[in-house]
Amino acid sequence: MLFNSPEFILGYLPLTLGGFFLAGRLYGTRAALAWLLVADLVFYGWWNPRYLPLLVGSVTVNYGLGRHIHRLTRASRTRAARGWLISGVSFNLGVLGWFKYADFLLHAAAPQAPALGIVLPLAISFFTFQQIMFLVDIFRAGVGRAGVGRAGMDREGAGPVGAEPASRPAVSALSYAAFVCFFPHLIAGPIVRPADILPQLEASRLARPVAANLAAGLTIFLLGLGKKLVLADTFGSFADTGFAAASHGTVLTLIEAWYAVLAYALQIYFDFSGYSDMAIGLARMANVRFPLNFDSPYKARDIADFWRRWHISLSRFLRDYLYIPLGGNRQGEVRRGVNLMLTMLLGGLWHGAAWTFIAWGGLHGLYLIVHRLWAGMGGRLGLRLPGPLAQALTLLAVVVAWVPFRADGVAATIGMLRGMAGLNGFALPRMIVGAWPALAEIARPVPVLLSLGDAHTLSLPEVSACLLLGWLIVLTLPHVHELSERARGWALTAGLAFTAQALFFAPYAAPFLYFRF
Amino acid sequence: MQHRTDVIRPVTPGAGGFRRLVCAALASLGLYALLFGAVLDRPLDLGFLARQLDDGLARAATIRGPKLVILAGSNGPYSHRCQVIEPMLDLPCVNGGVAIGIGQDYLFMRWRAQLHPGDIVYLPMEQQQYTVGRSATALGPDAAIMFRHDWPTLGELAPQRWLAALFAFDLRAGLMSVIEMSLVAVGFHDPRAETSGTRNAWGDHVGHTVARAGTSPAVLAAMLAPPASAAAIRDGYGAGLIAGFVVWARAHGVRVIGGLPTQLDPAARAGILGPETLVPEALRSAMPAVERLSATSRRATSRPEVSRSETSRPDTAQPSARLAAIEAVYLRHGGEFLLLANHSHYPSAAFFDTPLHLNEPCQIAHSIMLARALAPMLGRAALAPPVALSAAAAECPGIAGAMSLAQGVSLSAGGSR
Repeated sequence: MLFNSPEFILGYLPLTLGGFFLAGRLYGTRAALAWLLVADLVFYGWWNPRYLPLLVGSVTVNYGLGRHIHRLTRASRTRAARGWLISGVSFNLGVLGWFKYADFLLHAAAPQAPALGIVLPLAISFFTFQQIMFLVDIFRAGVGRAGVGRAGMDREGAGPVGAEPASRPAVSALSYAAFVCFFPHLIAGPIVRPADILPQLEASRLARPVAANLAAGLTIFLLGLGKKLVLADTFGSFADTGFAAASHGTVLTLIEAWYAVLAYALQIYFDFSGYSDMAIGLARMANVRFPLNFDSPYKARDIADFWRRWHISLSRFLRDYLYIPLGGNRQGEVRRGVNLMLTMLLGGLWHGAAWTFIAWGGLHGLYLIVHRLWAGMGGRLGLRLPGPLAQALTLLAVVVAWVPFRADGVAATIGMLRGMAGLNGFALPRMIVGAWPALAEIARPVPVLLSLGDAHTLSLPEVSACLLLGWLIVLTLPHVHELSERARGWALTAGLAFTAQALFFAPYAAPFLYFRF
Repeated sequence: MQHRTDVIRPVTPGAGGFRRLVCAALASLGLYALLFGAVLDRPLDLGFLARQLDDGLARAATIRGPKLVILAGSNGPYSHRCQVIEPMLDLPCVNGGVAIGIGQDYLFMRWRAQLHPGDIVYLPMEQQQYTVGRSATALGPDAAIMFRHDWPTLGELAPQRWLAALFAFDLRAGLMSVIEMSLVAVGFHDPRAETSGTRNAWGDHVGHTVARAGTSPAVLAAMLAPPASAAAIRDGYGAGLIAGFVVWARAHGVRVIGGLPTQLDPAARAGILGPETLVPEALRSAMPAVERLSATSRRATSRPEVSRSETSRPDTAQPSARLAAIEAVYLRHGGEFLLLANHSHYPSAAFFDTPLHLNEPCQIAHSIMLARALAPMLGRAALAPPVALSAAAAECPGIAGAMSLAQGVSLSAGGSR
C-alpha cells in the first residue's frame, strides 16, 4: 500500500490510528501495540502477502538471536555472544544477498546463465539493516562498548551510551515486532535506532491520542505528500523522458541532458524526503518521534556535509556499522581512504544490484577521498573555497553522480554524460532562436527538443519554469522541520489544493523511488 | 553527528493546530479555485482548442436549413474536408472536430443547440473516443476550458464533472498559464500556422502538405495506439456517451451516421508494429518534428483507464469483431453506419504527423470518397468535386486504388448492414 494512495489516506490510516487509540483506551498499551502490529502486517501484505512469512520469519529469528545474545552477554560469555552475532548478521545478509544479489552475482560470474527470476521482497533492504542494527546494539550494550548508540534491549532506553546494566529486563517480542514492522518506516525507512524507538513504543502513554501530535503529524504528513505528488512526480516525468531516451540510444543535446539530470536530482530529493516526512508525520500521529532523515542536502558546502544531510539514517548506519568497524579514520590516511571507498561502494550496492549503483557509490567514495585530501592540504596551506563556490561544486558533483544512479546501464550513463558535456551539440527550439537570432551562433535551431518534457513547442519554457521553481525551493527555503507552525500553514496553503488534485485526479499513483531499493 | 529528531525548531501546536490546518486547507482550495477559475488562463493551448470549437459553432449558427456536421477528434479536421464535401453534396457542411481529448459529453452538449431536424451528423470517432473512461473524460482539456470560460455548459453536465473541472489543474498547468499569458502579453507569434497549417472557414485543417509532413514509420509507430478489443469498445464509457447522443439525435430528428476514422492500413500497421502490438519504447522518442502547442490534449489522451494489457491484447486477428462493436454503438441506438470500401485505411505515406491525420492531398481524396458514399444515403446526387482540389487529391499515395473503390461502399442503417 502506498502512502500516496487514497486507500491508505482515507481507509488504512484512520482505521489503524482509530483502532490503535481505541485499543489503548479499552485494553491498554499492549493491546494497542498488538493492533498496530496486525495493521503493520496488513500494510505489508497488501502489496504481496506471499512475502509476509519472510518478514515474520526474519523478525522471529532476529528476536530469538537478540535474546540469546543478550543472555550470553549477561553471563559474560562474550566470545559466544560474538559468534552468535556474526551468525545473526550473516543470516540477515544471506537472506538479503539471496533475494537482492543472487541474479547479479550469477550474471557477473556467468553472463550467459539464465536468470533466477527472484523477485525482490518489498522493504527487505530496510528491515534487514534495521535488524542487523538491533543485534549489533545488543551485543555492544552487553559487552559495555556500544560506542555509537544506545542498546536496543533496555526497556527504558535511558542513560548514557553503553551504560545500560545488562541485567535489565529484555524488550518483549511484541514491542520488537511492532518496532521492526512499524508501518511508517517499514517499507523505506528511515532506518531508526532500536534504542530511539523501542522505549517510545513501550511508554505507558503511547496509545493516548495527543491533539498536538496528531495536528503536527498530519501537517508534516501532508507537506510530505505534497512533496511527493506535486513536486517529485512532476520532475519525475521530465527525468523519465530524458533518461528513457538515453537508454534507447537517442542522442541527447546539452539542454535535454542537463534538464533530465537536474529534474532527476529534484525528483529523488522530493520523493525520498517527502516519503521521510510522511513517515515522520505518521509516526508522530502515533506519538512516536522519528529522527530527521533529510536536512536540505543540496545546501551542503562539501561532500561530507552532503552525507550528513542526505538520507541521514542510512549515512549513520554506514558510518556506525561499517565505516567505524572497518577502522574508520583510526589507522592512517590511506586506510581511511580505503575505508571510505569500501563504505560508499557497499552503500551504492545496497541501493541495487547493478554496476551503475556501484559506480554511484564509487564516485561518492572518490569525492569523499578528494575532499579529505583537499581539507588536509587546504588546512595546511590556509586554502578555503568561498562558500557559494564550494556549495556549487558540491552540488555539481552530486548531480553528476546521479547520472549512473538513474541510468539504465553503462551505455545510457555514457550517453547522458556526453550530452551534458556538450559533445552532442547544443540545440534550441526554432521559436527561441527566432526570438533571439544571436543564439543561432551557438545553437542549432530545431522544431522541438524531442527528449524534453512533452516535446512540444513550449516544453523548454515549461520545464525551465518547473526546474527553476524546484531549485529555488531546495536551495533557498528551509525544510519542513525547520519551519514554524505558521510557516507550515502557509506551505500547506500554497500546496494542499495541488496535492488533492494529484491524489484524487492524477492518472496513476507513482510509487516511491526507494521502494525498489 | 548530533542526533536530531523530527523537530529542529520546537513546534508545539496547541489546540489551535487543527484549526490552523483546516484554515490552511480551506484557504488553499479557495485560492486554487480563484486562480484557475478567474485569473490564470492558457490562451495558446486551451484557447486554441476553444476557438476551434467556437468557430465551428458560429459557422453552424449562420446556416439555415439542413447541414452536415462532422464531429470527431482531430482526425475530423485533418482528414475530412467540408470544403470538398459541401459542393459535392450541395449541402452546407461544418467540420466540428477538435481534439481527441475533448470529452464527448462536452462536445455533444455544445453542439446540441446548433442541431435541428433534418441535419446530418457524421461521426468518424477515433478508437479512444469509444474506450475512454469516465475519469479521463472528466479530466480532458474541456474541463479546464469550462472551469475558466464556460460555466453554463459545465452546469449542464453531470455533477462529477464539476469536481473534476475544479481539480483539472496541476502545478504544470499553473506554470504554463503564467508562461502562456506572458507570451501573449508580449505579442508571441504562434508558429503553428507556418509549420502545420491552419483552418479554413469550414473548420477543415488546411496547409498540412506533404512537404510539411513529419511522418516516418518510426514516428507513426511512436504514436500508434494499440488496437482496442471489441469488449473495450462495447463497454467503454465513451461508447456510452456516443450512444446517448445517437438516441438524443434520433429523438430530435437529426440523422447520425457513424464512420471509421482514417487510419493506417493493416499492412502498414503490421509493418510498423510487427507481431507485438505494444509501441516500442525505442521509437517513442522519435516524436514528430512538428511544432505542437496542444500538450494538454496529448496528456489527456495518455490517461487511458482501460489497462494497457487490456487494450494491447492482440485483437488484430478479430478486426471484424472490433468493427461490429463500433457499428453497434450506432445501429443499436437508431443511428446509421457508413463503411467505406477501404475501411478508411491508408498507407503510412498518406499521413501527416500522426496515424490519424492524413496529409492534405489524402484528406481531399478521402473527402471525395466520403461525399460519393454519403450521396446515396442522403438521397442526393454526388456532384463533381472542385477541380483544383480534385487535382490535389491525385497526389495522395495509393489514391488510384482508393478512388476506384469509392463506389463500393457498405451502408448500414436501422440495424442491418
